[in-house]
Amino acid sequence: MNSDFRKVALVAAALGLLLSLFLALRPGDDENAAPTTAAATTTAPATTEAEPPTTTTEPPATTTPKPPDAVTIRIAVPSDTALTIRRYSVKKGRQVAIIVRTELTDHVHLHGYDLTADVGPGKPATIRFTATAPGRFELELEDRGLAIAELDVRP
Amino acid sequence: MTLLAHGIGGVRDLPVPDWLFFWGGAVVLVLSFLALGVLWKRPQLERRAAGRPLPPRLEGFLRSRALHGLLGLVSAGLLTLVFLTALIGEPSSAQNLAPTFVYVIFWLGLVPVQLLLGNVWPALNPWLAIANGFAWVWARLGRKWTPPLVYPERLGVWPAAFSLFCFATLELCYAEPASPRALALAIALYSYATWFGMAAYGRRTWAEHGEAFTVYFGLLARIAPFGERDGRLVARTPFSGLAGRETTPGVLAFVAVMLGSVGFDGLSRSPFWQNLRADLEGPYVLDSPGTAELISTGLALVGLVACVLVVALAYLGAIRIARRLVGEARPLVPEFLLSLVPIALVYAVAHYFTLLVIQGQYALSLASDPFGYGWDLLGTVDYAPSIAPFSPSTVWYIQVGALVGGHVAGLAVAHDRAVTLLGERDALRSQYAMLALMVAYTVGGLWLLSRG
Repeated sequence: MNSDFRKVALVAAALGLLLSLFLALRPGDDENAAPTTAAATTTAPATTEAEPPTTTTEPPATTTPKPPDAVTIRIAVPSDTALTIRRYSVKKGRQVAIIVRTELTDHVHLHGYDLTADVGPGKPATIRFTATAPGRFELELEDRGLAIAELDVRP
Repeated sequence: MTLLAHGIGGVRDLPVPDWLFFWGGAVVLVLSFLALGVLWKRPQLERRAAGRPLPPRLEGFLRSRALHGLLGLVSAGLLTLVFLTALIGEPSSAQNLAPTFVYVIFWLGLVPVQLLLGNVWPALNPWLAIANGFAWVWARLGRKWTPPLVYPERLGVWPAAFSLFCFATLELCYAEPASPRALALAIALYSYATWFGMAAYGRRTWAEHGEAFTVYFGLLARIAPFGERDGRLVARTPFSGLAGRETTPGVLAFVAVMLGSVGFDGLSRSPFWQNLRADLEGPYVLDSPGTAELISTGLALVGLVACVLVVALAYLGAIRIARRLVGEARPLVPEFLLSLVPIALVYAVAHYFTLLVIQGQYALSLASDPFGYGWDLLGTVDYAPSIAPFSPSTVWYIQVGALVGGHVAGLAVAHDRAVTLLGERDALRSQYAMLALMVAYTVGGLWLLSRG
C-alpha cells in the first residue's frame, strides 16, 4: 500500500512539474505574434543584363517597409553562377507576390499552392497569392528541376 | 538538383519551435526518472504475448485461399501497374502515379495498416504473390522445383538490411528519387533480385531474410494487437510481440538503418547540412552539373552511413555499459534489440505523417490518370488536396507526442526484458545505460525536428 501511495505521489508530482513547465515555456499569443510581424521584402541582385561578377555571395537581404499586409519577394536566378537557395518567411494570411527574374526560359513553380508562371529573358515571372496554408513550400524552376527558394508560411 | 529531402512532396513541416523542443526534452527526462521509480518489478509483456485465439471462423476466412488469391492478384496487378507507369508514363513526379504510390501509399501508408491489423504484408507482398502464382502454374504442369541452395542461417536478415539501405539511398541520397524512370529501374532490379533469391533459397525463406519490406513491416507488426502464435492467429496486448530476445543476425543492422535513415532525412534538411552541401558542390554546379550531382550524392551517402553507424554504435555502447554495470557474462545485444522498434516507428511517424496525409491525397487524382496521359478513369482527376490539413501547432504536438510516446514504449519494453533476464536489482542497474540511450535517441529526434 505504502509503496503504491508513493508511486501515485511521484507520478502526480512529475505531471505537475511538466504541466507547469509547459505553461511557463509556452509563448502566449501576443508574444508569439511579436517577433514574426516583420514582413521582409528581400531583393536579390538583379541579373537582367550585366552578368554578375564571379562572386557567388549575394548582398544581405534588405528590408523595405511596404503596405502592411502585402509582401513582395524578388528573386534573381543567375544563369552562369551558382545560386544560393534562400529561405523567405511570411506570416499566414498575407498577400504575397513572388517575382522571379532570370535569363533562363523555364516555368516557376510554387509547390503546395501549386502555382506556375512562365519565365524567360526580359519576362519576369510573377506569382501572386494569399498565404492561407502554413508550412514550408519549395519554389523551383520546373523544367530544370532547379530549386531556387523556400517559402515558410508561419502561423 | 532538388531540395526535397525525402523522395517526394512539395509541402514540409515548419520546424518545431525551440520552447517545445526544450519542453519535450524535459518531458523525456522526467518520464525516464519516473520510470525508474514506478515501473513494474515482474515481467509483464512475455506472459501476455500468448494472446487469445481469434474465433475459428474468422481465422478460417483470414487464411482462406480465396482471400489470399484475391489479395495476391490485386497486389500483383498494382506492382505491374506501378512498374508500367514508372516505365512509360509521363516522366514527371507530379503527373505520374509511381513516385507517390511507392514513397507514400506503399512505404508510409502500410505502416498504420501493419500497426493496427498485424502482419498483413505477406498476404499483400506482390513479389511473393507472383512467385506463388508461378509455383502454382509450375506444379500444374507437373514439374517440381526444389531450391538448389540452403540459406546460411548466419546471414540472418543482413541481405534485407542491405536492401533497406539501398532503398534509403534511392530515397534520400540519389539526386532525383521521384523520377519515374529511376523508380522503374529500381523496381526492375529489386524484383529481379527478389525472385532470384526466392528461386535459389525458397520463397518464404528469402522473403523473411532478404526481402527488406517483409522484414521492415514484420518488425512494425510486432507492436500490433494481432499476431500469430503457434500457428494460430491471436489477439494480444499491443507491444507484447516485442517481448523476448531477437537473435537473428543482422537485426541490429536493420533497425539501425530504419532509425538512421529517418534521422538522416531530418539532418539533411538542417541549414548546417544544406550549407555544407552548397559549399562542396558550389564550384561545380554550373560548369559540370554531373560532378556536382556526384558530390552531392556522395556526401549524402556518407551522411546516411554515418547516421546508421551512430545509431548502431550508440546501442552497442549502451549494452556494453549495461553489461559492466551488472557484471553479466552473457551477451546482451540480442536481448534489448526490440526495444528500438517503437523508437524507429515514432521517428518515422514524426517525420512523415503529414507527408502521408498531404501527399496521400494526390494519389486520388493520380489514380484516375496514372500515366499522366490526361485520362479520368475514376472521375477524381480534379480532386484538390488540402495542403494544410492540420495547423502547425497540431503537427508539432503530434510530432513531440509521438517521440515521447515511443520513448516510453521503448523504455518499457527494455525494462520488461531486463526484469525477465536479470531480476529486480540488476534490472534497474542495467537500465541506467538503456535509459541514457533512449534519452539520446529521443532528444536527438526532437532536435532534428526543431532544426531546419
